[in-house]
Amino acid sequence: MTLFEFQILDLADQVGILYKHGVYIGKRKQGHLTIMLFQVDSFYVEVVYRLYRRYIARVRCSESTTMLDPYLGQIHVEYLVG
Amino acid sequence: MTKPAKSKNIVLYADDDTDDLELVQDSFSLYSNNVEVVTAKDGSQALSYLHRLSDQDPSPCLIILDINMPVINGKEVLKKIREMQRFESIPVVLFTTSSLPQDEKFAREYNAGFVTKPLDVMQMEMITEVFIDHCADEIKKNIRRHLQ
Repeated sequence: MTLFEFQILDLADQVGILYKHGVYIGKRKQGHLTIMLFQVDSFYVEVVYRLYRRYIARVRCSESTTMLDPYLGQIHVEYLVG
Repeated sequence: MTKPAKSKNIVLYADDDTDDLELVQDSFSLYSNNVEVVTAKDGSQALSYLHRLSDQDPSPCLIILDINMPVINGKEVLKKIREMQRFESIPVVLFTTSSLPQDEKFAREYNAGFVTKPLDVMQMEMITEVFIDHCADEIKKNIRRHLQ
């Protein structure tokens, strides 16, 4: 799947793709929001939660590896090489 | 680590993520009349809990394990549980953010369920039912009877 194909899906379908095919990378807090980062094929998706794992405020995605920066300390290397 | 109340079905849940610990405790709140969720913050705590159970203490009806935990990860805990005669066939679910096929295969090899952590409220509503589905038939009926 390409980034464009993912972007044009509605939120429910995006969540479905992440649930089935997303590779979890990390989690962080920003104020009251909880943000989780996933990788899908060659792009990254951040899920921003208003209420953790229940209500999604927004989803943002990019092919840029700068999305990894806030999570670098918690990436599980064994999954990236395994 | 939380302590169980007497005479309830015990679900042992090990996860180092406090948000997820709360999430699962909330998800079982509907069944709080007869289900007690005992939480452990890592795999070592979960194994200690099991080792400390006397013959008179009830076994958990279900063990839920996160995979990525400090001290001993969920897959190692599952292996050790299956080596303990008392728990060799106890229902276990690996509950994880991973959707990696090798983790799912590992769960199958050790006779455990594999549930990916939910991403939104729709999936969340199904999760507890999926957990209960892994319990023995008699326990399942008992837990759900209290909702009728």
